[in-house]
Amino acid sequence: MRIVIAEDDALLREGLALLLRAEGLSVVATAETPGEFLTAVETFRPDVAIVDVRMPPTHTDEGIAAAVEARRRLPDLAVLVLSAYVEPAFATDLLTQGSAKLGYLLKERVGRVEQFLDALHRVAGGGTAMDPEVIGQLFARTRPDSSLSRLSPRERDVLALMAEGLGNTAIAEKLVITEGAVHKHIRSIFAKLGLAPDDRADRRVTAVLRFLESAR
Amino acid sequence: MAKGRLDGRLRAGVEGLRHIAGGLGTSVLAMAALVVMLAVAAACLVGIGLLVVPGLLRVVRSVADQERTRLTRWGPAVIGPPPLPATTREALRDITVRRELAWIVVHGTVGFLLGLAGISLPVYAVEDVTFPLWFRAIDPSLGAPGIFWWRIDGLADALGVLLIGLVCAVLTVVAGPGIARLQALPGRRLLVPAGDVDLSLRVAELTATRAAALDAHALELRRIERSLHDGTQNRLVALNVLVGAARRALDRNPEAAAEILDRAQDATELALAELRAVVRGILPPVLDDRGLAGALDGLAAACAVPCRIDVDVPGRCAISVEATVYFLVAEALTNVVKHSQATFVEVLVRRTGDRLSVRIADDGHGGADEADGSGLAGMRRRVEAYDGRLVLTSPPGGPTTMDVELPCGS
Repeated sequence: MRIVIAEDDALLREGLALLLRAEGLSVVATAETPGEFLTAVETFRPDVAIVDVRMPPTHTDEGIAAAVEARRRLPDLAVLVLSAYVEPAFATDLLTQGSAKLGYLLKERVGRVEQFLDALHRVAGGGTAMDPEVIGQLFARTRPDSSLSRLSPRERDVLALMAEGLGNTAIAEKLVITEGAVHKHIRSIFAKLGLAPDDRADRRVTAVLRFLESAR
Repeated sequence: MAKGRLDGRLRAGVEGLRHIAGGLGTSVLAMAALVVMLAVAAACLVGIGLLVVPGLLRVVRSVADQERTRLTRWGPAVIGPPPLPATTREALRDITVRRELAWIVVHGTVGFLLGLAGISLPVYAVEDVTFPLWFRAIDPSLGAPGIFWWRIDGLADALGVLLIGLVCAVLTVVAGPGIARLQALPGRRLLVPAGDVDLSLRVAELTATRAAALDAHALELRRIERSLHDGTQNRLVALNVLVGAARRALDRNPEAAAEILDRAQDATELALAELRAVVRGILPPVLDDRGLAGALDGLAAACAVPCRIDVDVPGRCAISVEATVYFLVAEALTNVVKHSQATFVEVLVRRTGDRLSVRIADDGHGGADEADGSGLAGMRRRVEAYDGRLVLTSPPGGPTTMDVELPCGS
């Protein structure tokens, strides 16, 4: 897997590169500014870009704009955004281009290397990796009158994990229930959200999108 | 329209009459208090009056409070005074008590006469206007009501008295409100808290400086958030990444793990150093350890331009004020080094009463401008937040002098 890292803090940038290289991944370029980052992705055409939210010049949310721009220029690029704190507005900005090949994680998740690599691979493979913290805050913002409010607490757990980007097996493991039970919950979620079995679209994706959109 | 105006006048007249009656009531009380006061004063001359002075002051206070209540019901609120001082000696020196005593004298005499006049007017008006109806019933030598020297010899005279009655009635309506106000004037002047005149000015000023304080505060918080976020937090994240990497490497390549742990330790040390800097930026510990003079000496030693510090401040000021002075001097010295091309700078700190004055003077080329974002505006906000004053003199060609004055807060 070929990776570009955009991170202005030298120590963190080197640490990330060290970690990924040790895992046998190829870090093809690192960038300190949004400009350098965009040049690097266009030059090296990586599979994944890891982008810090805070970057020069103002150190506020330049990273989000850079990630959105990179995805616009290279629609095939998977982007994993790292943030020091959760800001649902950042997530919804990124989600305007769809949730495929998109990740948004708190920086501290990188320390749990297995989970971080898992998220990285999931995003590179076309999936989604949303930080549980982000999903939690988005859930907190759903309006009480939305169809989501009809979900049982367990169904909300399942939907949240779906939104994080996990598959049924991983969800079953996380919630310590059988895969059969996960299936049952998902069917119930589809029913409550009014997603009929004959819908052409992938109902799983639709459900997650509906949730994410409801929080926008 | 004219009828409405007349109605309004009449109502005002009646209203004025009510106030005069109320004022007359308190003036009678004041007069009684005045009599007691004079008696006590006389008794004091022979030495036995002092014992009853506290009781007298309580009576005076209660009469004054009656008047305060009356005036508050009628117009702008008259704010109550602080409690009477504990000892007679203090009480007699208290400005509020003295003003109350003065008010007793004025209201018990002038206030009483005004009240009497104000109340008599309508009484005479009624008597005089109705006089032609009953003048025959009394002895002509008794004269008209209140005008005993006017011998009433017939209807013509009685009608003259009626005219006077009309004049009294008109006066009641026209002058009544004025008399009421005049009667209330001593109370409104003497029974309000002393020094109230600049109170509203003071409120406006405090509101403005409070806003500046909040601004300065928000700026400070932003600065601290930045340094915590971009420094300490990033170091910790890096540390976390390195620890994660080391843990992964343990199984595969223990030697690499040791190397990564080395880096992790470096990151920890960096994080600690930056945290220290942030903490020092919030409140320099050196202020606590060595006081303002010592802390400023430290700044001078680190200053690239030769710097003389002269601090003569007996005792300590409020820690927040000292911190403000410290940051102010630090920032000013940074400006001197960066912009002034000065060869010498002097910092003078003095305390006069409860004001702390700071002067930072350099021999540079001047031309410092608050608008160019050299942090001067921020410094001014900080100073104003403490109700202080900052004056910058920096003509082109120099030299530059910054004078700051702050309340000590202690």
